[in-house]
Amino acid sequence: MAAARKLMSVRRDWRERDVRVVLVALIIAVATVATIALFAAQLQRTLVSSASSFLAADRQLEAENGREIPPDWLTEAQSRGLETGRMVEFSTMVFGTGGFQLVSVKAVSDEYPLRGQIETQGAPDQPRDLVRSGPPPGEVWINPRLLRLLELDIGDSLEVGNRNLKVSSLLVREPDGGFRLSALAPRVMMHVDDVTSTGVIQEGSRVEYVYLFAGDDTVIEDYYQWLEPRLEPSHEWEGVRDGETFSRSLERAERFLLLGGSLAVLLAAVAVAVASRQYALAQRDTVALLKTLGVRSRGIGRLYLRRLVLWGVTGVVGGLLVALPLFWLLTRLLSEVLERPVEFHLAPQALVPALLTALVSLFAFAYPPIRRLRDVPAMRVLRSQPGEAGRGALADAAIAILAVFGLVWLYAGEISLVVSLLAGLALLLGALGLLGWLLVALLRKVRGGGNAWRLAFVGLYRHRRASLSQMAVFAMTLMLAATLVLVRTSLLNDWQAQLPENAPNHFLINIAPDAVDEVGAFWQERGQPLNQLYPMVRGRLTELNGEPVKEAVSKDERIGALNRELNLTWMSALPEDNEIVQGQWFRQGAVEGVSVEAELAERLGLALGDRLTFTIGSEKVTETVTSIRTVQWDSMKPNFYMAFPPDGGLTDMPATWITSFYLPSDEKTALNAFSRNFPTISVLEIDHIIDRIQQIVRQVTQAIEAILALILAAALVVMAAVVSATLHDRQREGALLRTLGGRQSLLVRSTMLEFALLGGFAGVLGVAAAEVAVWALQFRMFEGSFSWHWQVVLPVPLISGLVLALFGRWQLRPVLNVSPMLLLRRLE
Amino acid sequence: MNQMTNVKADRLPPMLRVDNLTHRVRLETDTLTILQGVSLEINRGESVAIVGRSGSGKTTLLGLLAGLDTPSDGTVELDGAMISQLSEDERAKLRAHRVGFVFQSFQLLPALSALENVMLPLELAGSDAPEDRARELLERVGLGERLTHSPRQLSGGEQQRVAIARAFASDPAILFADEPTGNLDNRTGQSVSDLLMELNREQGTTLVMVTHDEYLAARCGRQFHIEAGVLTEPAAAEELTL
Repeated sequence: MAAARKLMSVRRDWRERDVRVVLVALIIAVATVATIALFAAQLQRTLVSSASSFLAADRQLEAENGREIPPDWLTEAQSRGLETGRMVEFSTMVFGTGGFQLVSVKAVSDEYPLRGQIETQGAPDQPRDLVRSGPPPGEVWINPRLLRLLELDIGDSLEVGNRNLKVSSLLVREPDGGFRLSALAPRVMMHVDDVTSTGVIQEGSRVEYVYLFAGDDTVIEDYYQWLEPRLEPSHEWEGVRDGETFSRSLERAERFLLLGGSLAVLLAAVAVAVASRQYALAQRDTVALLKTLGVRSRGIGRLYLRRLVLWGVTGVVGGLLVALPLFWLLTRLLSEVLERPVEFHLAPQALVPALLTALVSLFAFAYPPIRRLRDVPAMRVLRSQPGEAGRGALADAAIAILAVFGLVWLYAGEISLVVSLLAGLALLLGALGLLGWLLVALLRKVRGGGNAWRLAFVGLYRHRRASLSQMAVFAMTLMLAATLVLVRTSLLNDWQAQLPENAPNHFLINIAPDAVDEVGAFWQERGQPLNQLYPMVRGRLTELNGEPVKEAVSKDERIGALNRELNLTWMSALPEDNEIVQGQWFRQGAVEGVSVEAELAERLGLALGDRLTFTIGSEKVTETVTSIRTVQWDSMKPNFYMAFPPDGGLTDMPATWITSFYLPSDEKTALNAFSRNFPTISVLEIDHIIDRIQQIVRQVTQAIEAILALILAAALVVMAAVVSATLHDRQREGALLRTLGGRQSLLVRSTMLEFALLGGFAGVLGVAAAEVAVWALQFRMFEGSFSWHWQVVLPVPLISGLVLALFGRWQLRPVLNVSPMLLLRRLE
Repeated sequence: MNQMTNVKADRLPPMLRVDNLTHRVRLETDTLTILQGVSLEINRGESVAIVGRSGSGKTTLLGLLAGLDTPSDGTVELDGAMISQLSEDERAKLRAHRVGFVFQSFQLLPALSALENVMLPLELAGSDAPEDRARELLERVGLGERLTHSPRQLSGGEQQRVAIARAFASDPAILFADEPTGNLDNRTGQSVSDLLMELNREQGTTLVMVTHDEYLAARCGRQFHIEAGVLTEPAAAEELTL
């Protein structure tokens, strides 16, 4: 046994081609999965922290009832190790040298912002600075427009209630400068400790207290569990994932990373399965010899198990050695894209999938064919038994497929992903079976002829078993890669469509009915036409079918829309990006009815025909729900929960108008003239929000591209591994063909053609299977619609044919330049 | 057919003419001379054995004679063509149409069935009905029942029969055999050599065989001895041919 063990040392193993392939496949598997998992975790952190800056924290608690929250809520958070901060938001009149102005004040504590940075400017013509805290007590930072409106200079004082506060800086951008229509007036930022002394906040003042929280995700969740039962309906707990605008982008990015990771697992598994099967086939002679020498089946089993474990350790160590520098490189790439340093964070839990992959790859994919080596008859030393080679392949495949889907399920946690891939794979296997049958039936007829085409067909037929299994692997690899490319394309297109180049980035609010035409003309003259104008009436939903709405809706439901005034509108045509899901849009000349946004309708349990009563000022309006429609909240256009017909319930109500338009950054000075001409109209600048979203999209896109490149590289290696598995046989055949009189050029052409056909067939199958998988994925995961993807249907088979033809040519290289005699001796 | 070949042979140049053939292999430190000034002439339809011990250079000589490799010095003229002056592709073409091989280790492709192995040279030569001819030949060598078997499922003797069928498939003018019975037991070796001789006679092929088997060598018309790269023709054999 000692000699047998020596025969099985890893160093000796490494000299064998098949073992090298198994080990390289394993290393690639571990490296790919580890890199993706590490990078996904890193990206997740970066994304969340980047998106958190939209809240200036990880979570916000808003008290809209004008009362501060009990102090112990904050001490509880602090005792759990969370960072906290405080803000007070209110509107007030401020006075400067040039007059007075209604402003929206945000008073912040020293800790603000917990996440993100504030952008300031020393003076209008100075460069912008990024700072990590707000103004100190006694000072204010103001919106640059206010400087002109109140004819102030930096260093002047601004009168806020009873206090004179020094204007020390210009406030260009606040991290949580959210998209809220209530933020109508220019912003003034001051220190929260100065609020009381201004005397602005009195009993009954409309004021909002906002509390900021930041810290570890699980701690925040635990804290929320503690906090939730104490919250009142007027309290709103907000996290990044609740914000309509970003959640979808984040969710999709996350899913894509998971998909990428899962596909990496699949690819790795394919590589290991192919290589170990090749290995097992090649090992049969050795096993037969060992048995002849007296080693028993159990002994054989132990020898190979020991070997597998050694491979596993080598694979994991080697894979991690590859993954770590790769991950470091990706992290650097990420920080380059973001133009800011990204902390290199090695999440240990991200290594679990890598270890699991190594384990499952070895025991579900490598072990079955190797285990069967125990059953190799000793008689094989003298003569191989018919049918031996194909035995058990089906059982191996079944175990492998089950394991891989288990792994993907575990990894992606997404049953629809598993089902989609299974559907694509089933189609692929079915098509391969059919193709195999066709290959045998059709190619059998092609016989003889010294021309390269016929020889290529004969070659395919001759190697039909190898051809089919190689085709299966290539097709599967191509399917996985094509799936990823397609999903990525549709993801990016969706994002692009969501925020086109000239998406509206400014809102005009509070336009008096008689100023509508003048405002339109003002922007028309400057070449920036306005989008559709909508009337806006502020009102509260108070009754549902005659019952007070807070009683009609379950108390557990904290619905923001019920706690504040809603923006109601009327319109004749349904906005382009809205879609009716129930009922019918108002007919021409309709005077009754209301159309409700679908999600709100669902939360309130509204159905067509329900009667809604709105309180607008002192009046009440009651209308019947006639349609329910979906709204694109992230479209950056005015969106409304409730829409009435033009001559309906809102006609006599006091309305102002709202619109949005696109203003390039170099035209922003026009806003000053606008504010002077129309002092009562508020301009809401959301260009920086749009910039931020586009930045996130760019960031995610980069990550996706990087992961895609990684997976395509892995796919290429799988293909190379599979092709080189037959390298020896091919070279021997090439040498023999030359001895028998095959010309070099004929050999080269027929081999390249044979591989091109193989690659082409595999490409067609792979793309077809990818379309099925993408169709299922789009349907289940990404909520998109399906269409054929001609951009991959044609190129993929062509490219895979070409790549394989080059592989084939590469394999022949040693056969061409050496004398056939030498080659035959060498390969014997 | 046989008669015709023999009649023609009188007027045609010899099948193989070798003049002062020398082959050297460059090693790391010095140069090793494997063949030294070998000259010989083999006529059409002749059967010739080259006998020598292992390492005497006989297989290298065979490879050079068949145009599988090119010599360092000297010329080889095969069927009227100066093969040392031909390009690799021209030599390949010559091999495809005029030359057959039988190897000691059979050199069958394991992925192919017996039938496919025999079809291989026919396909390369652009034959119209390679399968029919291959089937016919395998039946001739007694393997008509084993057409679909892979080399691994055949005994050594059976494998060498497939190799012989393959060698004769393209109707070669000259057949090179490298220790054709070297991997076989006496009895199987004898039946294989019987078959080789029979087919050779039937087809009127020129046979050049390398062997260390004196008995097999004795069955050939002429014998050469090779030792340390130098070829000699024993007097007895010379007298016989005279």
